[in-house]
Amino acid sequence: MSEPDRVSLAFIWDTESPHFSRRTFMRTMAFAGAAGFMAACGSSGSNGASSSSSGSSTSFRLPNKTEAKVLNFYNWTDYIADDTIPNFQTETGIKVTYDNYNSNDELFAKMRTGNTGYDLIVPTDAFVVKMKHANLLQPLDLSLITNIDNLDPRFRHADYDPGNLYSIPWQWGTTGIGFDQTKVGGTVTDWDAFNLPAVNGKSSFLDEARDAFAMALFALGHDPNTLDSGQLDDAQNYLIDLKKKVKSITSDYQDPLKSGELLLAQAYSGDVFQIQTDNKNVQYVIPKSGAFSWVDNMAIPMGAPHPRNAELFMNYILEPKVGAALTNFVQYGSPNKAAEPYIDKSITGNPLIYPPADVLAKLPFQKDLGEDEIAYDDRWDKVKSA
Amino acid sequence: MSVAAPDPPVREARTRRRNMPEWLKGNLLLLPTSVWFAFLLVIPTAIIVAYSLGKRGIIEPVHFSWGHLIWSNYSDALNTIYLPIFIRSVEYAAISTLLCALLGFPLAYWIARFGGRLRNVYLVLVIIPFLTSYLIRMYAWQFILQRNGLLNRVLGHIGLGSNHEFLNHSSAVIIGLTYGFLPFMILPLYASIERMDKSLVEASYDLGHGKISTFFRVILPSTSPGLVAGVLLVFIPAIGDFVTPELLGGVRTQMIGTTIADQFGGTQNWPLGASMSILLTMFILVGVFLYLWRVGEEAL
Repeated sequence: MSEPDRVSLAFIWDTESPHFSRRTFMRTMAFAGAAGFMAACGSSGSNGASSSSSGSSTSFRLPNKTEAKVLNFYNWTDYIADDTIPNFQTETGIKVTYDNYNSNDELFAKMRTGNTGYDLIVPTDAFVVKMKHANLLQPLDLSLITNIDNLDPRFRHADYDPGNLYSIPWQWGTTGIGFDQTKVGGTVTDWDAFNLPAVNGKSSFLDEARDAFAMALFALGHDPNTLDSGQLDDAQNYLIDLKKKVKSITSDYQDPLKSGELLLAQAYSGDVFQIQTDNKNVQYVIPKSGAFSWVDNMAIPMGAPHPRNAELFMNYILEPKVGAALTNFVQYGSPNKAAEPYIDKSITGNPLIYPPADVLAKLPFQKDLGEDEIAYDDRWDKVKSA
Repeated sequence: MSVAAPDPPVREARTRRRNMPEWLKGNLLLLPTSVWFAFLLVIPTAIIVAYSLGKRGIIEPVHFSWGHLIWSNYSDALNTIYLPIFIRSVEYAAISTLLCALLGFPLAYWIARFGGRLRNVYLVLVIIPFLTSYLIRMYAWQFILQRNGLLNRVLGHIGLGSNHEFLNHSSAVIIGLTYGFLPFMILPLYASIERMDKSLVEASYDLGHGKISTFFRVILPSTSPGLVAGVLLVFIPAIGDFVTPELLGGVRTQMIGTTIADQFGGTQNWPLGASMSILLTMFILVGVFLYLWRVGEEAL
């Protein structure tokens, strides 16, 4: 089996479309279960080190024989260019084993259980913070990441990890609205689009406390990271009202939006662009009153066996052409400023992926609130139980 | 000499074994299961109880300390905002159980009475869905019930319109629960119908009872152990289920299992989730005792 074949195994469950939602956790678990069952039925003759141990959803772990030239990489499903890993392997001689996960919760739960053997993970900004607090991340040796100045300055001093002490951004995007422009019966520019009569009972918002509250807080003109209890109560009531108009609270909106089951959904930008390859009518909009930026970041778990290799990989990703190839494939925004000349014009020219400065000013990062996040969680429980 | 030497000790051991007291033999049989239960039931339950009395946190989800037990987790769990969700769960589970009984009884009866030599084949067919993960089967239902799904296409073909909304409603959740737990009803029903003395039915006819009266006065009472077991096996997992409402339901079909799961995920309140689980377990236990006391324990 050649190296590229091994890597492509990770995409084996993508039967329907070339892309797969980053967050369709349950489905992947289901298929992993089926795969486990099939494996149990079939002969168990293959190399024993490869499977079972990790228990991750789409896990094809390769035997780790040598200690030095190895990198164990744990990334979101379908979130890398075909040649990213093969080129790194040829360039450095470091053998990459590549596993996938489908939700931050899954990643976090796994890291919490202790030494997983992974050297490189890709948590979203809020989880970089959580993992840092829980002592699950190693500080980076920035002297090995010489390409760091290729980053857009916005990502060098972001709220969740100023100075990139623990994380190097991978890709970024926004949390806005996906909708079927032929069926919503109006123009969608802001969060109030949930009030369009045509989408009544055919919309959804995200099953994530901070994302849902950000939507309400933006719509009400408040700071999306607020801790003011009056504003949070307003947002809670806003969401309870909104709940009466929507069909579901879900992070698994991709297929329903594609099929017309949902006409409008709070959605992650990249997910919607992926839907467009199958259904051209589905559009994405960054709401006028503002939206969260999210950033997925490379980080090194505590106890990683090959942290230096992980830093080499980070440096490799920050090379302009490598970063550009990655973005050209996954179609999210690149935090790599130096890569921009090599990124397809269809991406850099798209204001939804590369928003103009005035829009960018309304796309803050989710702030680390520490224990105060309980204020959000309690109200989220009220919303969900209402 | 050298051959005879080992003989006496062996004989001695045999005698000793024969003399092992009865109570010890019985307890030895219990040993493997006791260890199993201790590790997989008693200890985890104790952990849940401890969690339910802990203090919640964001960075560390539970802080437990003997000196500072947080009983208010239980009063939070009894908050009336969860009451409609709880009532809905009981409702869904009860309807699904009823549907399982109505669908399962004729099938079990048919297999037991008219299955002939192929009986075991039919039973295997009933069990076959279990070879697929519950989660995948619920995704299959999503596929069947969605707007451009199988059911709508079939209805469209026979001219009944193809734009029905099946998904995200109570009916979808109840269909999912009924489908998912039906085999748990069929198997115990089959066992007791199969054991039933067929001549009782003939005797009932001979004594002038009609079909309906025979069913209610003869067949149903003598198969009630299977029915009681079936009701318990369907109702208990159904009331705590969270996968089905999550995948087939919508914003107004949340069940108590979903709410509990949320406490360990999105809303990050493990102590509340743990106390809800304990209360739900106690509710079910009390319910089961009352039910068995009412229908008679010998029915099982």
